[in-house]
Amino acid sequence: MTRKISNFVVGAFAVALALASSSAHAHKLRKQGERVAVAKEAFFVTPTRDWNELSISAGKNDENWSLDGRQLNDVTFFGGIPAGSPLVRETSSKNDPLPKFGANTLIVEVPELLEGTYRTAKKSGSFQVLSTEPGTFLGHDGVIFTYQFSDEDSLTRKGEARAAIISGKLYMMTFDAPRLNYFDKLVGEFRALADSAGLK
Amino acid sequence: MAAPVVFAASAPLPPPYAGIYQPQGVDEAGWWREDDESERSLAASPLVIRDEKLTAYVKKVLCKTVGNDRCNSVRVYIIREPTFNASMSPNGTLRVFSGLLLRVRSEAELGGVLGHEFGHFERRHTLQHFRSARSGTDMLAWATVLASIAVAASPHSAYAIRDNYHDLQLSVYGNIYRHGRDQEREADHLGISYLNNSSLRPQAFSVVWQNFMAETEASARVRGLQKPNFKAIAFTASHPPDAERAGYLAELAAPEGAGRDEGADRYREALATWLPVFLDDQIKLNDFGGSEFIIESLAQNGWTAGLWFARGELYRTRGNQRDLVNAADFYSRATALDGSMADAFRGLGLSLMKIGQRTEGQAALKTYLKLKPDAGDAKLIGMMVPKEEVVK
Repeated sequence: MTRKISNFVVGAFAVALALASSSAHAHKLRKQGERVAVAKEAFFVTPTRDWNELSISAGKNDENWSLDGRQLNDVTFFGGIPAGSPLVRETSSKNDPLPKFGANTLIVEVPELLEGTYRTAKKSGSFQVLSTEPGTFLGHDGVIFTYQFSDEDSLTRKGEARAAIISGKLYMMTFDAPRLNYFDKLVGEFRALADSAGLK
Repeated sequence: MAAPVVFAASAPLPPPYAGIYQPQGVDEAGWWREDDESERSLAASPLVIRDEKLTAYVKKVLCKTVGNDRCNSVRVYIIREPTFNASMSPNGTLRVFSGLLLRVRSEAELGGVLGHEFGHFERRHTLQHFRSARSGTDMLAWATVLASIAVAASPHSAYAIRDNYHDLQLSVYGNIYRHGRDQEREADHLGISYLNNSSLRPQAFSVVWQNFMAETEASARVRGLQKPNFKAIAFTASHPPDAERAGYLAELAAPEGAGRDEGADRYREALATWLPVFLDDQIKLNDFGGSEFIIESLAQNGWTAGLWFARGELYRTRGNQRDLVNAADFYSRATALDGSMADAFRGLGLSLMKIGQRTEGQAALKTYLKLKPDAGDAKLIGMMVPKEEVVK
């Protein structure tokens, strides 16, 4: 019995290592000053410092960037979410359905949409929108909002987002980081990145 | 003077209270050390609701159920987590989830669930299972290593792998916390015998299970599932809410206790300030069927402005055109009952605008801004109103 278990463990290790070696291209460097298309070329940004594009993304139309890893700072680009789609990938549409962006969703409801998404997808028991202000994003009228939440690791995070609805699709950038140290330290970098965003 | 109390024949009397207990043996001492550590981080967690009055009230209901001696060995933590759950760990930490407080209707119902958890604690069921589950935690350690390698390896499936690992972690811990059928029955018997001995109505305990089964079925129906998956819910995975259980709990309840007070009014009063918050958390879970069931059962005592508002939010969040028409109706009922409920005017305004009734929608939004001029989204809503007027 013990031998069987140890064989299983060795086998599983081999599979995991094989997977590891097959994808050495894990992340990409996004260099300062180089204009780059994000989220399936939905829009463009010009970073004012070096960032890492992560090899994972939260959803089909999304792209994630970070400096120190997603738990410490996470920029998510939502590139033109069409009506009827959730913001991030659904793990189970029947057991854990996510709220959908709708054709009739108003810009003032976007913070609620993100809240419903985080509460289900990140299993965040508490989420609080701190402020909602009109603003521009990608040259269109939109919303700038801030929020605070704790998810399963019980760490309080702060977030800031800019969003606009353009031709019936939702475009958004969010920045999440632990409230302690990381958010205040890097929110300026996020704002610079969001300021540089353009459709062409 | 008092007539001797006769209890239902099959519900045993609670055991004599043994006083402060100290862990014995290496297994139990180690388990308590882990548990103390876990309690330390729980005490500092942002998810704990720091409302002394509410915490004291929940503790009082526990004391009322199990008696003052017993309940002194317990520390109560109320966790803001909108699922139906409560658990008690070996060192006497009682975790009560806000979702449980939203679902029970009286002190007797809450007391039944807390008494059941206390029963596991008093009989030290967790320790017995811990001993049999140590091989399970060895497996968990290996899974951690493999999952972290796989996350680094696979660019697109990292979310899924993290989830799988998380599920595994839940299921292994679930096995530790899952009690055997016999232990469940024993805790049920103890829970009901505490209630039989208390001043609360013991028949209420069985109602908790009946309501929860009905809610889970309502939730599954709306999702298009044929049968509810009780194993997917943390609490019911270890506490199967079957009809047999509701049946024997009803039988074991002392018949002479049927006339006792359930403490429903006191419960409502104690929860009054938190109910809107817990309802809001529930609505944002995207569980339409379950949330609708909860709102309707709360409304059995009469529809309040708060309940109409919650129902409006639920329908507006789902957001089909037909939902928006209903939402507008529910918000109007809320504002008719309470003309100062700013958020109901906001919901009403947004719903009306989305179903094409712009003028009325704008009027409602203006009332919202008048009632709550410093609302977080006041500027944005303020821009919406004149802009729409210009368009017209």
